[in-house]
Amino acid sequence: MSVANAIEVEDLRRTFTRRAPNTLTRMFSRQRPKGGSNAKEAGCGDSGKRPAALVAVDGITFDIRVGEIFGLLGPNGAGKTTTIKMLCTLLEPTLGTARVAGFDIVREPARVRASLGTVLSGERSLYWKLTGRENLEYFAALYDVEPSTARERIRELLDRFELADKANELVERYSTGMRQRLSIARALLANPPVLLLDEPTAGLDPQSARNLREVVRELKGEGHTILLTTHYMAEADELSDRIAIIDHGKVIALDTPAVLKHHIQQMHSVEVETDRAPNGILDELRSLPLVRGVECVQSGNGYETWTIRVLTENSRQTLDALLDLLRAGGERVLNLRVAEPTLEDVFIALTGKSLRY
Amino acid sequence: MVNRFGADRFGGWLRRQFRVIGAIARKDLLIFLRYPANALMSVVEPIMWLAPAYFMGQGFSVDGRAIGFEGFAGTSDYFSFVMIGMFMSSYISTAFWGTGFSVQEDMTLGVLEPNWVTPASRVSLVIGRSVIMFLLTTLNSIGVLVVGAALFHVNLTGNVLAAVITMLPMLIALTGLGLGIAGMVLSVRRAGTAIDISNWVVTQLSGTTFPVSVLPRPLLAVALALPTTYGFDAVRSILLGTKTMLPVKVEIGIMLASTVGMCAAGYAVFKVFERRCRRQGLLGTH
Repeated sequence: MSVANAIEVEDLRRTFTRRAPNTLTRMFSRQRPKGGSNAKEAGCGDSGKRPAALVAVDGITFDIRVGEIFGLLGPNGAGKTTTIKMLCTLLEPTLGTARVAGFDIVREPARVRASLGTVLSGERSLYWKLTGRENLEYFAALYDVEPSTARERIRELLDRFELADKANELVERYSTGMRQRLSIARALLANPPVLLLDEPTAGLDPQSARNLREVVRELKGEGHTILLTTHYMAEADELSDRIAIIDHGKVIALDTPAVLKHHIQQMHSVEVETDRAPNGILDELRSLPLVRGVECVQSGNGYETWTIRVLTENSRQTLDALLDLLRAGGERVLNLRVAEPTLEDVFIALTGKSLRY
Repeated sequence: MVNRFGADRFGGWLRRQFRVIGAIARKDLLIFLRYPANALMSVVEPIMWLAPAYFMGQGFSVDGRAIGFEGFAGTSDYFSFVMIGMFMSSYISTAFWGTGFSVQEDMTLGVLEPNWVTPASRVSLVIGRSVIMFLLTTLNSIGVLVVGAALFHVNLTGNVLAAVITMLPMLIALTGLGLGIAGMVLSVRRAGTAIDISNWVVTQLSGTTFPVSVLPRPLLAVALALPTTYGFDAVRSILLGTKTMLPVKVEIGIMLASTVGMCAAGYAVFKVFERRCRRQGLLGTH
């Protein structure tokens, strides 16, 4: 391993074998097999039947430099968590290799885990019937932190994450944000060189998420290497030194946020707010000349409005055709804005679809 | 890094395992004590199960002696026979439910993965769960024995210390069994019914409530293949003076040999299933 790299991933692949549902399940299940899964499917048996295997991670390769925040960005089911689970040795790769702090994830799993602090997504990862302090004391033993050091370390972490006042309360009485802070404190108990943070701000209110992002920046300042998975564009943009965009288990772009955005800087993002779902015209919008991508999401403003986002090489030439199509479809335009491209636009340009589905 | 992983001498390694096991025992005890009603019921429940055996024994006794039973077991004290059987079978249940099932409990609570991403040995993480379970079972069973003695006139005449020492290899063997079951639970997941049936078969065929000599030949063959049968037989012989199937020393020898065998087999089974789970990606599912 290069000394400059904290994590090296080479051609990592993970395939899940699907079991055929048994007769009873088939009899009582009303669900029909659905298409459109975000993960790639492989090894189709008989035509029209469920594929025999699901490719969750499809030959990804990247290095993470020491002291870097590396964002793994992609929609749900893109393969982010599977990658994290392979790196923290919960899951074995089907093919390929990866090294964490110089240790091979298959041949030296215990040493890999000793080099890592891992925060997995999901707030039930703590013992709710123990206090915050008792949780940290328990995990300090599992991380082999010397008892004499552990007490001081736990005090430091409780202070740092503003949990000292609630340290002796049961975790079941904590808010989601407090539980997430305690999970990060747990990952830092042994002060590991590498941190894996799987969707650390998922489910947090905006203030808690902002505070947590500040913590992540501080951890980088202290020299930790951080692999962060997220499906929030702004978060990846704000925190990451480099970003790998992952979709269908493949890394489809990898660079700094600035370079990724620069690639599509010649483009414009046109946002149109309408008063109802623009059913039926999205495909027509996609087929307009110069248009590179279209997404449509329900606005999160509390009103029943929809935002259509069109990535185009020339907004002036696209606007007329765009408005004509909307009027012809009976849409009422409430708002219109031409903006600089964001990472979201990068994703749309690369995949032709939105992250938020 | 604050942790000292890599300072690898056997003494250091062993100390780390004991620290992990101790931390798990403390954690489980704290959680147990935070459900006081459950703790109380764990004492009441065995007495509830024992009461019918007592009254049934009384119903079949003549002048307080179960004459027919004495012909098979070598003691006319049916209730003391059952009481010791219940006491010992509670350890088997602990191995199945406490140790083996603990991984399913952790999966359901969502804490299996956070435990398993630490550098602690996964075998120690499972064995740690059994330590406090066995301790609680012991305290619980002693409580039941005391209450049983007060309510139902249990009469133990033998050397209790010798009986306890005789039981120790069986407890170690059961820890190995629990480890193997934990491995299977990892893979099978919803294993409650299978564990319930297996637990019932092993406890009953070991002779919890009857001498195994009453069993028909095919079932007797199964009973004699269970090391726990010899443990029950030897301990009852020491405490009640019952007839044994083999000389007590031979039965203890069988238990010692099975201790090594069951620990090795439990470890191997656990490692096989743990690897299988990592390969198939079953750890985060339940």
